[in-house]
Amino acid sequence: MKPKLVVRDLTHHYPDEYTGEDVHALERLSLDVDEGELAAVVGPSGCGKTTLLNILAGLLPYRQGVVQVDGVAVKGPGPDRGVVFQEHAILPWRTVARNIGHGLEIQGVPRQERERKVGEFIELVGLTGFEDRYPHELSGGMKQRVALGRTLCANPVIMLMDEPFAAVDAQTRITLQEELNRIAIATRKTILFVTHNVDEAAFLGDRCFIFTRRPGTLKATAAITIPRERRIWKDLVSDPAFTRPRDEILELVRAEVRVGDD
Amino acid sequence: MATTSLSVARPGIVLSARARRFWRQGGIELALVTLVLLAAWATISVTIPRPDRYLPSPLSVVLSSGDLLWKGILPNYVGQTLWRLVLGSLIGLALGIPFGILVGLNRHVSETFYPVLNFFQSISGIALLPILMIWWGTTEKTVFGVIVYTCFFPIAFTVLTGVRSTPLIYMNALRTLGASRLRIVRDVLVPGAMPSIATGARLSIGYAWRAAIAGEMLAGRRGLGWMIFSAQQVDQTAQVILGMVLIGFLWILLDRYVLRPIESDTIQRWGLVQR
Repeated sequence: MKPKLVVRDLTHHYPDEYTGEDVHALERLSLDVDEGELAAVVGPSGCGKTTLLNILAGLLPYRQGVVQVDGVAVKGPGPDRGVVFQEHAILPWRTVARNIGHGLEIQGVPRQERERKVGEFIELVGLTGFEDRYPHELSGGMKQRVALGRTLCANPVIMLMDEPFAAVDAQTRITLQEELNRIAIATRKTILFVTHNVDEAAFLGDRCFIFTRRPGTLKATAAITIPRERRIWKDLVSDPAFTRPRDEILELVRAEVRVGDD
Repeated sequence: MATTSLSVARPGIVLSARARRFWRQGGIELALVTLVLLAAWATISVTIPRPDRYLPSPLSVVLSSGDLLWKGILPNYVGQTLWRLVLGSLIGLALGIPFGILVGLNRHVSETFYPVLNFFQSISGIALLPILMIWWGTTEKTVFGVIVYTCFFPIAFTVLTGVRSTPLIYMNALRTLGASRLRIVRDVLVPGAMPSIATGARLSIGYAWRAAIAGEMLAGRRGLGWMIFSAQQVDQTAQVILGMVLIGFLWILLDRYVLRPIESDTIQRWGLVQR
């Protein structure tokens, strides 16, 4: 099977905003994401995870290496790659429903069909009853549900998620992780999920890509074979099928942090 | 019996909920300050020689307003000034808002225009009047010219700043949804600038109000500014003061009941500031 996302020998350097020094964010990075797979990218802060995601999203131009989605080279942003951002990137002047339908609006989908689809995705992300609310009336977790719904509703080939649950409280975060797992089952969407949280990566990932510290490159790949239906936090916390790979990943990431602290 | 006593209305003056809120929110203090000011004014007025020439008492100002009201001059003048303000401000806003948005779209263009707008914003409408009078004389065109000019720069400046400060992440999010540049302008930059537009409009109309009075004084026919100026020339000091008081009151009403609600509704609805 041909992978949905292909990254080959991607190298990215940029001058530091203040010092002008050459920052090596990514160095000869290669990875693939298969169709229907949820790939988690995990690594220490400043390992180039967000740089990678911005390149994949087309927001950051790259010069060295290959980045392809469905065999087509990435050149600038496009609706084939949906992004769920770290911060709340939903528009404060649009209601929940109008935010979620925004992608379809841009694609020129007729109103009736749009409304039907928006209704579907509002239900999928658990926002039924909040259609006409404005973002400032919602909690942080609900805002990220809107962001998730907006991206899914536009039906991208691959969904890119940049630490989407980093800003919510621990309890909400766990709920959102389980919700995303449920959504991954329901939609079979191909997802690249960037996080610095090892638990999150191991809980969500079919595979986890562990990055080295800067310049970011692939250090190891860990497969998590637990079926999605069984991924519920209260069962996994004591399940060796989860804790063993989780502890291995944690060791790998911590080794990078230690090197970084020298 | 304790339960029935709750339903018995207390004796005294019965106030509506609205009136009670007004008194609670500093209405008493406001009334006191007004009374003190009026008392001070009246006191000075009775102690100076020739008060009719220098400072007529509050009572004679009220009487002169009765006289003008009777003749229908006052409503006519107030209407004239408000009409100039509304039309001039609308033209100024209609020019300034799109200008601010267009200039704000591009970083380089906005960096170039920023000092230019700042420069003109500092030249008050009154400072522009002499040159307008050289061009157009004491005509209606000159009065409107100074109002439009005064209104244009603050709104353009504020809108420009508003567009520039729209979070980049909103634009990036839309780009990843496949939005065109035009779509980003329509769906992000224009609504993102709405609170600035509302704030800027209130500010601009405030300046335009002063410009309208100044313009009428030097180049207008009729209107409050013209009334003050012509009353001064015939030593009708009561009318001069009446005009000043009206200018202040009209502005407070306009600001309180038209401009401020528009501003706060916009900002609140957009969810950028919560009450």
